[in-house]
Amino acid sequence: MRMNTGNTRNTRVLRTATAAAAALGLLALSGCGAAETGKSQEAGDKKTVKLTVPSWVGAQANTAVAAYLLEKELGYTVKTQQMGEVLAWDALSKGDIDGILEDWGHPKEEKSYVDTKKTVVRGGDLGVTGHIGWFVPKYFADKHPDVTDWKNLNKYADEFKTAESGDKGEILEGSPDYVTNDDAIIKNLKLNLKTNYSGSEASQITAMKKYAKAKKPFLTYWWTPQWLNAEIDMVEVKLPEYKEGCDADPKKVACAYPKTPLQKFFNADFAKNGGKAAQFLKNFKWTTEQQNEVALMIADEKLSPEAAAEKWVKANESTWKAWMPKK
Amino acid sequence: MTAAVTAPPKDRPAVTAGRFAAVVRHRAGRKLLALAVAAFVLVPLGAALWGGGSWPAGLTVDVSGPLDDANAWVIDNRESHPLFLYFLLHLSNTATDAVDAVYNGLDSLGWAGFAAMGVLFAWRAAGLGRRGAKTAGIAAVVFAVCGLLGMWDATLLTIALMVVAVTVASVLGILLGLAAGLSDRFHRMLRPVLDTMQVMPAFAYLLPFVLVFGTGTPAALFCTVIYAAPPMARLTALGLRGADAGVLEASASLGAGGWQRLWTARLPLARKEMLLGLNQTIMMALSMVVIAALVGAGGLGEEVYSALSTVDVGKALAAGIPIVLIAVWLDRTTAAAGERIGTSVPGGSRLLHGWRAWALVAAVTAAVAAANRALAPLTWPEGWTYDISTPVNKAQDWVTEHLASGIPVLGGTEVWSENFTLWVLNPLRDGLVWLPWWALLLTVAALAWLVGSWATALTSTLAMGAIGVLGVWTKSLDTLSQVIAALFVTLLLGFALGIAAARAGRFERWMRPVLDAMQTMPQFVYLIPVVALFGVTRASAIIAAVVYALPAVVRITTQGIREVDPSALEASRSLGAGSRQQLFQVQLPLARPALQLAVNQGVVLVLAVVVVGGLVGGGALGYDVVKGLSRGEMGVGMTAGAAIVCLGLVLDRLTQPGAGRSRGRNDG
Amino acid sequence: MTAAEHTKPTTDTNAAEPVFSVRNLWKVFGPKADRIPANPECAELSAEELRARTGCTAAVRDVSFDVHKGEVFVVMGLSGSGKSTLVRCLTRLIEPTSGAIAIDGEDVLSMDKSRLRELRRHRASMVFQHFGLLPHRSVLDNVAYGLEIQGVGRAERRAKAAEVVEKVGLAGMEERRPGQLSGGQQQRVGLARALAVDPEVLLFDEPFSALDPLIRRDMQEEVIRLHREEGRTMVFITHDLSEALRLGDRIALMRDGRIVQLGTPEEIVGSPADDYVRDFVRDVAREQVMTVRTAMRPADDARETETGASVSPDATVSAAIEAVARTGEPARVMENGRCIGIVDHQGLLAVVAGLGPSDQKAVAA
Repeated sequence: MRMNTGNTRNTRVLRTATAAAAALGLLALSGCGAAETGKSQEAGDKKTVKLTVPSWVGAQANTAVAAYLLEKELGYTVKTQQMGEVLAWDALSKGDIDGILEDWGHPKEEKSYVDTKKTVVRGGDLGVTGHIGWFVPKYFADKHPDVTDWKNLNKYADEFKTAESGDKGEILEGSPDYVTNDDAIIKNLKLNLKTNYSGSEASQITAMKKYAKAKKPFLTYWWTPQWLNAEIDMVEVKLPEYKEGCDADPKKVACAYPKTPLQKFFNADFAKNGGKAAQFLKNFKWTTEQQNEVALMIADEKLSPEAAAEKWVKANESTWKAWMPKK
Repeated sequence: MTAAVTAPPKDRPAVTAGRFAAVVRHRAGRKLLALAVAAFVLVPLGAALWGGGSWPAGLTVDVSGPLDDANAWVIDNRESHPLFLYFLLHLSNTATDAVDAVYNGLDSLGWAGFAAMGVLFAWRAAGLGRRGAKTAGIAAVVFAVCGLLGMWDATLLTIALMVVAVTVASVLGILLGLAAGLSDRFHRMLRPVLDTMQVMPAFAYLLPFVLVFGTGTPAALFCTVIYAAPPMARLTALGLRGADAGVLEASASLGAGGWQRLWTARLPLARKEMLLGLNQTIMMALSMVVIAALVGAGGLGEEVYSALSTVDVGKALAAGIPIVLIAVWLDRTTAAAGERIGTSVPGGSRLLHGWRAWALVAAVTAAVAAANRALAPLTWPEGWTYDISTPVNKAQDWVTEHLASGIPVLGGTEVWSENFTLWVLNPLRDGLVWLPWWALLLTVAALAWLVGSWATALTSTLAMGAIGVLGVWTKSLDTLSQVIAALFVTLLLGFALGIAAARAGRFERWMRPVLDAMQTMPQFVYLIPVVALFGVTRASAIIAAVVYALPAVVRITTQGIREVDPSALEASRSLGAGSRQQLFQVQLPLARPALQLAVNQGVVLVLAVVVVGGLVGGGALGYDVVKGLSRGEMGVGMTAGAAIVCLGLVLDRLTQPGAGRSRGRNDG
Repeated sequence: MTAAEHTKPTTDTNAAEPVFSVRNLWKVFGPKADRIPANPECAELSAEELRARTGCTAAVRDVSFDVHKGEVFVVMGLSGSGKSTLVRCLTRLIEPTSGAIAIDGEDVLSMDKSRLRELRRHRASMVFQHFGLLPHRSVLDNVAYGLEIQGVGRAERRAKAAEVVEKVGLAGMEERRPGQLSGGQQQRVGLARALAVDPEVLLFDEPFSALDPLIRRDMQEEVIRLHREEGRTMVFITHDLSEALRLGDRIALMRDGRIVQLGTPEEIVGSPADDYVRDFVRDVAREQVMTVRTAMRPADDARETETGASVSPDATVSAAIEAVARTGEPARVMENGRCIGIVDHQGLLAVVAGLGPSDQKAVAA
């Protein structure tokens, strides 16, 4: 009660302060007019190339080799940033990054950014063909050869049971990043299975390694190319054959995943004004085996991406010479 | 890493405990009676109206559609709309420039220059002398280890981000705190906002910022700022409000105007609280900067995150250790500076006082930096690194192989996790899902009313209802079952360890650094070993949550028991009570407020990791948030995020010791 | 009886211009507080009744008094009597509800913010019970604080502060922090801070009640010394009767927001206005307070005016007792060389016994 006069004074101080802060803020913002959108700030033959590093190692191999050659052979500085796939598309459109070297198919984004907004352009095939499917370890397939047909999966559901899947068989799922129709497939093919979302590729791989070490049976959503395939032999379970359009309605999917020729995409500005770097990245194309070789060095030998790229570049000069822009 | 902000509410427990308990029993008895009557009426009514089962589809509102539309709108308009051109883009460009500028500035000092600056800064801030030397020694070790682990550049980037984020968060926090400290109305408005923000898991902050700013430095920076500012605001307001009224009156009596009083009396009097606020802001910023690697923050967080993709625990640890060490460095420095306030005794050379000492710090830094530029490369010498990842990975493999299964009698972690899932998690989840939705709402309302007032009941019920309306009822119950199970384990271990630590000083000394490291170590680092040990199951998610929440629970428990009125203990000892009797009859009952606070903190922290649990098989809401983040599906992600916040509100209200009373918080 | 009757200055020891002049001052806390003073019904109610009826607490009720230049004016009362609120109303640290306050004839209540600030900066400064020192500043900077607020330059204010620090006996402690000082030393800093701005009036709000008895005595001596040396007007709030009697030229005794009696220490002790005051002063060593003037009687005959020890009319009764006891006969009360009365053992004993003039007659008869 003694702060009677104090309070009115506080309020005044407060009001003055708020007004001053607001005025300052407005001044700071309006004083400098429209902001740069970040897109056109470095036109022409800029010397920095920004590439995304997806979370899986195969794509890290692309970036590592491309970055190594851009820096050592063409004199660019390369900045890499790790981010989710869809976020990378968005960043590509904004010009925050210049290129995605390995894309597994994002029809929605492709339509929006490439066809409608024209901020992203197609960069051609990477040369690697990706394929998603259901896989079991080879040691299990050897023992039960008929497991590789989906029609027999229910017979083995018991083998795949875990605490998480209850009385059904478990199919291990990967990172939420990856496209999956598995819940629909299970339902539509009336399989006695249950998906278990491991939440990240890392925990999926850890789980798989653990199973493999104990030679336990397991069924997983998996793909090639993948460096782990060199370590654990995996056999694909044949699902009903993929036909154009059979995965059009996500709720009614009852077929296998397509084989995807992996694509490169570039920021439109970069593709036009990126000079030698853009030319080089457009030419960049290699095989599944070559990618796996680098990926394995990174993932299994725990080499740093730069070291792995250096090792590969030194041994495969004829391959990358062809990617160099013509003088 | 610091002690609780304010001590838990203690209403002279020794005197009032007995009477209070009697009143509560009495009041609770009446409340229970009322509840029984209400249940008698409402349960048959609910059963007749809605039957059983899950939240009815008719009562849900689809928010993910509009959110996705908003996302699309942002993408379409962010290069043309004035809101972006004249406001948001300025913000994001400024953010990027500021971080770049600080990074380049630090980088240009060279490694020796930067290390010199960090060490001298610690020395000066901790108050020179012996204490300063000790803090400086810690700083020197910290930088040496960061360099040795080959994380120099990442450390630099993280510190650059921290410098900008903490500066902005502090300024923002101080402004809000000033406003709340000076105006009662603003304080009333701000408090529930801060309370809610404190319940929100760090992950829930990421998505809205990604929606507006896209990935990259700006989004990372701004969500760090927003996440870290509340403690500064809270403690500034606390300091201003708690200022000695006598001093303020004296100042007014001498004719000081409002501004004069603010500058000469109010703010200096609040320095101690503000420094504690800074300390907490720094700690929170550090944890967020690491998590923000998911949206492109770069630095040590990204190193940890990318190590995950190759399942390289060693490398993740190599990046995690510098994070812990930076936390130690900043914590010790600010804590030492805080303790110094008001106690400084002049002495020693005049050269070492006030601004002169700071000038000395700057001069020596400049000299070392110049020498570094002239004599050695600016980045940490490559030869001076040591690779820990290979031995760590080997050790991890060995441990997981031997602990996972095949241990005689005990069975091994795999067996435990399986049994835990089968016998605890599944029944709990199925039970919650089986409960009719209206019955669950009624239960929440009744519980909230029992622990608090009708206002508590209203908030909790509304929040719980919101979860249903959002259309994620079943998923939320799955998450809820995990939170309850994790909380149970956390409290069991936490109370046991806390009591042990309170009773054995040596045990505490040994445990403290371990707890500190556990809490500051990014959760990503221990996710892989957890999966290797427990498999891709909800049990793994729960272990991660327990590891994260345990330190706070242990610390609050220890503190609560330690702070029990020694005269009460003495009295019981004089009556010949044994050590067990003392514990159960005196210490624990008197530490009840602290234990309640520990429960509340446990809930909040456990929930914070539920999202992280999504990365290792926790599924449910956490998985949705991770999915929304990585696939840019704002609708799914933000719906799940909102549900987590609602769940947090419910749990927070249900566990709040004495709802409505002010309470202390331990923000780690 | 109403308070106004008692608040008329009853003595004219300092008939000069009043420094503070307070009339019909009210301070009411609670809802719709401003309605209370105007309502004659409320004026009749006791404190409890008022609270029950209106929800309001009247801390100061219809108080009027003058503070004369150069005097030490003591406001005394138990805790809750409204004395601290009253002194804060003087410089509007608490805004009065109604009434009038003038300083040197200038209306305080109508002052605008800057004028009021001027008043606080230069004309009246206050010493607080709990010191109110800035813990982060040295003694010297604390003392210089008032000057800093006035905008005096650093060197000048520190020089001035050093002078005052010396004056209150803290030389050599200039660089210490308040936390390193004892309570008495801290209050010396508070006193020095108030003195440093050279105010017209010093306001003391129970400045010594947080101190140990011995230190309190020292500090009282200090105040008496300062008053003697500088003759500064002082308003002194206390709950300690002996302190009030020691220091006060005049004392206003407060109860439940009202002044129940205002007068010199002698008047308060010698002729209590009501039972409350009487109860209050019961244990006072009256011979220390009462003067010979109250104990004397007219001389019976010329012989009495010529012999015996002589005492001054303003001497305390205890001094007269000593004189009478030594000579064994009544003493003459001499003023300006003239005998104005006689004190004998009977008169002196009556004072010590606390008998009023009427009681005395009854005994004599």
